[in-house]
Amino acid sequence: MQENENEIEESAVSRVYELGYLLVPTISEQDLPVVFGNLKELVASLGGVSVSDEMPKMIQLAYKMVKVVSNVRNKWNTAYFGWVKFTMDSDKVLELKKKLDLDPNFIRFLILKTVKENTIATKRFVGRDNVHKRPSVKKDENEVVVPINKEEIDKEIDAMVAA
Amino acid sequence: MKQDYFSANNIKFIDYKDIEILKKFLNPNGKIVSHKRSGVTSKNQRALANAIKHARFLGLLPFVVK
Repeated sequence: MQENENEIEESAVSRVYELGYLLVPTISEQDLPVVFGNLKELVASLGGVSVSDEMPKMIQLAYKMVKVVSNVRNKWNTAYFGWVKFTMDSDKVLELKKKLDLDPNFIRFLILKTVKENTIATKRFVGRDNVHKRPSVKKDENEVVVPINKEEIDKEIDAMVAA
Repeated sequence: MKQDYFSANNIKFIDYKDIEILKKFLNPNGKIVSHKRSGVTSKNQRALANAIKHARFLGLLPFVVK
């Protein structure tokens, strides 16, 4: 019984998390993989197992963000946005948060509980849009099909006349 | 939108990174469309509101459009 309880506790403690973050745009393109690599190492060092991730990409922020770094008020309109999905023990996540709080490369970050499966549905949605367009295309096809039939009928008539 | 958009498209988890989908539920001022207008189920409306708020925090969506 005790072993079973322990197993249940372990599975409850290890969870899937997602870390979304904004990196300062002053990082150069060449240094970006280094920063990304360091982040993944940090996650791995706390016992995190990476599930999926995306390289930070430069985005235009929807509003101006301010962060005070060493007594200087910095304002940003652009940032590198990236995310990492990983499984980690729930007590280690707080340590991860504390470490990220001190990192000057981060403007903001967000740690969320999530699911292992790919949650981005935009691609599927694009596919669905095509489904919506299909009926109009089909109508066109029907219209095209009719002249072909006429040609075939003409040919058949010609063949009959020739016979 | 009379029917629930998310169950109609088989979306089980509303992700804050899916800004193209989330934008459908913002009015021209950037406010979240009400439950009555969105036609989304209560459960999904709550998840949707959270996702939009997370996206706003990370600068993917605006708090207000002037």
